[in-house]
Amino acid sequence: MNIATPQTLSVKRGQTATQTLDISLRSGFHVNSDKPKDEFLIPIKLTWMSGPLAAKQITYPKPEDVKVGEDTLSVFTGKFTIETKFLAPPQAQAGIATMQGKLRYQACDSRSCKRPATVEVKVPVSIQ
Amino acid sequence: MNLLKTGALLFATTSLLLYSCSGSNPVEVKGLAQQTGNLKTAPDFTLKDANGSTVKLSDYRGKVVLLNFWATWCGPCKIEIPWFMEFEQQYRDQGLEVLGIAMDDDGWAAVKPYIAQHKMNYRVVVGDDAVANLYGGIDSLPTTFVINREGKVVDTHVGLIGKDDYITEIKGLLSGANKDAMLRNSGSPAAALLSLGAIR
Repeated sequence: MNIATPQTLSVKRGQTATQTLDISLRSGFHVNSDKPKDEFLIPIKLTWMSGPLAAKQITYPKPEDVKVGEDTLSVFTGKFTIETKFLAPPQAQAGIATMQGKLRYQACDSRSCKRPATVEVKVPVSIQ
Repeated sequence: MNLLKTGALLFATTSLLLYSCSGSNPVEVKGLAQQTGNLKTAPDFTLKDANGSTVKLSDYRGKVVLLNFWATWCGPCKIEIPWFMEFEQQYRDQGLEVLGIAMDDDGWAAVKPYIAQHKMNYRVVVGDDAVANLYGGIDSLPTTFVINREGKVVDTHVGLIGKDDYITEIKGLLSGANKDAMLRNSGSPAAALLSLGAIR
């Protein structure tokens, strides 16, 4: 999995702004969507640590169905994005800061699976 | 090549050191260093099964063993499980044992419900990095080591292979055909370490 380095997110105090995480997978691989169809599968999950902005909503793309054996899986493949709507509280301090998050995922191809992984995500933010 | 070999041995040694530092770990692992011909002895380990009974790989000497590293979240593993259940039923009397090593981070909390739901009829233990490292590091699941009656690894399968491929191997080993010369590996890190002697 490759995550493009996030660009600086500019947001005014009291307002929201949407940050886009651009992700790409190697050809042939998939990751489970945020809502896998099997209880044992590990969903992709983006979480944000507390910081100067508040993560109000995380939006995952529309998943696609992939058949593996007799099961139909809900997955993401190729290039996809996860969006986070951040709110800058009115009392937030103006300036440059960083929002830190973690992306947990589990990738497979048609023959094998990689063990679950968690990668750190850092988004530079400019609060005005 | 010497550097690679040294690296592989250091890797294996580090694995054992890591293990020995983890005081709360109930897993007992030790690399058996016996080698006969081109085949390597499957590293021994002692783990607990779902009933809390001790499972020691070397106790399976005299049996043909399919040692299958898998996880509940692994789709291709799920495809193989009914095959292994069938093999266990069909070939057990002739000396086959299937042993699953679940690599779930959540351990029995995830594995026990899965075993029940899928009515798995063969023995399963929960593994960890220490055991995986003994087998060259398990980068992908499923990874299955085919072990002959002498406890030697005769084949390593990384990823899903055909059911018939397993049947051919099982029948050959159970019938005593000389498969020992067939050390077919599939280019995995585990296979590379195997060939370098990290698994001896």
